[in-house]
Amino acid sequence: MKKALSAFVLSLVCMAMFAGNHLSKPLLSKAKEGVDSSIVMQDVTVLGNREKDLQMRSSVNTISIGKQFLQNNFAGSLMQTLSNIPGVKAMSIGSGQSKPTIRGLGFNRMVVTEDGIKHEGQQWGDDHGLEIDQFAIDHIEVVKGPAALLYGSDAIGGVINLYSNYIPTKKFQGGVLLFGRSNNESLGLSARLQGIMNHIYWKVNTTLIDYADYKVPTNSIQYYSYDIPLKDQRLRNTAGFERDGSVTIGYKGYNFHTELKLTDSYSKSGFFANAHGLEVRLSSIDYDKSRRDIDLPYQSVNHLKVMSHTVYQQGALALEANLAYQNNHRKELSEPISHGYMPTPPNTLEREFKKDTYTANIMMRLALNEQHMLSAGINGEYQHNRRNGWGFIIPDFETTSFGAYAFDRYTIKKDLIVNAGVRYDHVTTNIHSYNDWFKTPINTTDSVYKQRSQDLHRSFNSLTWSAGINYATGNWILKANIGKSFRVPIPKELGTDGINYHIFRYEKGNPTLNPEESYQLDLGLRWGNDKVTVQFDPYLNYFPNYIYMNPTPNYYEGLQWYYYTQSRVIRSGFELQANWKILPFLSAEFKGEYLYAEQLSGEKKGYTLPFSTPWSADMTLKYDYCQQKVGNEGFVALNFHVIGRQNNIVPPEKPTPGYYTLNLSAGKDFAFGDKKLHLSLNAENLLNRKYYDHTSFYRLIDVPEPGRNVALMVGFEF
Amino acid sequence: MRKILFSLTAAAALLTMVACTSNDDIVKDNELPVITDAGITANPVDCQVYSRGETIPFRYRFTDNEELGNYNIEIHNNFDHHTHGTQKDNCKLDPKKESKDYKNPWVYKQDFTIPRGDKAYDAKQDIQIPADRDTGDYHFVIRVTDQAGNQQLRSMPIKIK
Repeated sequence: MKKALSAFVLSLVCMAMFAGNHLSKPLLSKAKEGVDSSIVMQDVTVLGNREKDLQMRSSVNTISIGKQFLQNNFAGSLMQTLSNIPGVKAMSIGSGQSKPTIRGLGFNRMVVTEDGIKHEGQQWGDDHGLEIDQFAIDHIEVVKGPAALLYGSDAIGGVINLYSNYIPTKKFQGGVLLFGRSNNESLGLSARLQGIMNHIYWKVNTTLIDYADYKVPTNSIQYYSYDIPLKDQRLRNTAGFERDGSVTIGYKGYNFHTELKLTDSYSKSGFFANAHGLEVRLSSIDYDKSRRDIDLPYQSVNHLKVMSHTVYQQGALALEANLAYQNNHRKELSEPISHGYMPTPPNTLEREFKKDTYTANIMMRLALNEQHMLSAGINGEYQHNRRNGWGFIIPDFETTSFGAYAFDRYTIKKDLIVNAGVRYDHVTTNIHSYNDWFKTPINTTDSVYKQRSQDLHRSFNSLTWSAGINYATGNWILKANIGKSFRVPIPKELGTDGINYHIFRYEKGNPTLNPEESYQLDLGLRWGNDKVTVQFDPYLNYFPNYIYMNPTPNYYEGLQWYYYTQSRVIRSGFELQANWKILPFLSAEFKGEYLYAEQLSGEKKGYTLPFSTPWSADMTLKYDYCQQKVGNEGFVALNFHVIGRQNNIVPPEKPTPGYYTLNLSAGKDFAFGDKKLHLSLNAENLLNRKYYDHTSFYRLIDVPEPGRNVALMVGFEF
Repeated sequence: MRKILFSLTAAAALLTMVACTSNDDIVKDNELPVITDAGITANPVDCQVYSRGETIPFRYRFTDNEELGNYNIEIHNNFDHHTHGTQKDNCKLDPKKESKDYKNPWVYKQDFTIPRGDKAYDAKQDIQIPADRDTGDYHFVIRVTDQAGNQQLRSMPIKIK
């Protein structure tokens, strides 16, 4: 505990430095207001050498990532690529997919947006990935820290903002990417065509990916005392494919910009055949006959989005409107098997979810004078979720939410900016009852269709706020931000009451749960000259009522009883990054992160939270060549990645040993006039180490992470 | 400004104190309970055969490093040859049965309590097999928890004649 708060002590030192500065007095009246300095604007592009401008733009820890980074760090999924950012992790859920966490918070405790619209799938699920075409993304912004002000519910851990907002500059241009990965024999193609004429532009994207079962460096998996042999070290039935497409048309004028985009993302992927959820299975299906086929159990997801984005700018005033419709259709199919009182189901459709989400965001930004930039906005969202299939996890529901916010950014002088804002949200959730489709005996003679979820209508109100400061002096940039964020309980937490056959436990929701609240203090400390930069970002986070599913020693209907409860939780940690340009062509980078979490009340007082991220450190040596030949630059980088042991666990988790990996990446550009060829190579886990990821869903069934993998990508832009 | 910073610092310091006034006395139990046959004659064991109308004399020992929780016994059919849990796959199974091939499979599911404070407990139940249920392959599943919520599982194939 004391060790854990060392980060915090350092933050106090940082605070003292702030306090010592000669800051003007009129600010005192502005104590209660907003967070982020940046309204989500279409036209913001950030270049690497404008790091200081970016750092001064927001008092929340914000990292901007361009296409170059995405290509040079190409991994199995977008989120795996982003896990190169300190504080961001990918919870892998199989070969082609993973879900993001920021500073240990994932699922509904962080937000992913696409062009300013919150992405809405079934993000509560342990093994549900992100249904977005990662190759259509032009630019990413990662916000580490509370961002409730702009995004409302869920933005507790942070936000990953994905932008595919590049506006073509030529009449006709485009690009093709070809890529492959050795580990799961994945092959992919992504292509984009686009053009602009008389202020009207268009874009067409498509991505096709196909992959086989992935390889793990082990011949068998030991789960409980059961031994599951693997053929050719392949994780049976984890093959899959993805098909994405999008069409955009837009108008870009001097002070008016609008665009309409239609995207569809479809994927189908198998679940590891020998464990469905946490249950070990043997089946008569011949999984080993092909490593590219997808048998039961598998999931398929289709995500359709229609988005409209409009910006109007007149003098000091900018207005922005984002409207969207999303349809998420997920199916999980498995062999029908009887369990307990449930007879053998009639078909393979275990779970199906259809979710429609309508979103409207209207924002304005007004430069009152040279010093004050006032932003305000309203958001509305409606979700309609329907379920089907013989496996029940979440009930049908509708959710309506409204939010309004305002914040002011006050530039006292060029190097001293403060901001504050406030937001109000009103959310109503309407949950429908659900009864089992089979009967359960209640005594020796009677049996009933048991109710697993009751009709429930709840409404939630939440007032959130945030305040922050940016200060630059000499080689230093200092930031501090304090903010409150919240999350409305999801229908599973409120309404569930029954056996989750996927994880084999009896889960009991709690209809009286309050919105989860979080208070976070963030500091950012950056020092740099032209050779060395060091960035240190500590944070302290307190939840008065973290929603937690507690395992009990009790049984109910034959399975262990888990129930949703709320407990006080403290979390603190930091990220540290240092870059050193040793020679003009040689640079070194160090990245490290540490996180501590502890429950301060409830039955698991003293324990941590599930899926706690262990400490990690990452060292990279990078050699740049052909720097003087513009458009023909190249690099080679060797990376050493160490992850600590995670002993700080909470039942039913197991401690996870530490590990290290050795990785290599290289890239080279070739210019042919105004056309560009890009090659990149990424070799992960060169030593083919067998290791477990504490934050992976498959950790629970003792499945190690993928073995050695070489990824190759060729891109051509014209 | 200084006041703001001061109040921030104060708030943070308060959080620290909240965090530190906790729990040096709390014992964290991260070890699973154990299902064992050590020192007793355990029953049933893998591949054991029983007849309808007969009694299964269930005998196992549970131990935990801190404190045992409760246990549960589940018996269900394995007519479809599914395998879950912990048994070795070495019993000879009858041919597979489709759901049309059987009428009245036996399902037994019962939760049992263990007295509070026990680190070791000899579980003993006599389970009557109903005379009118389908014969064939079954799974006998034992689950035991500790007070912290860790669970151990053991599953054994048995046959009912």
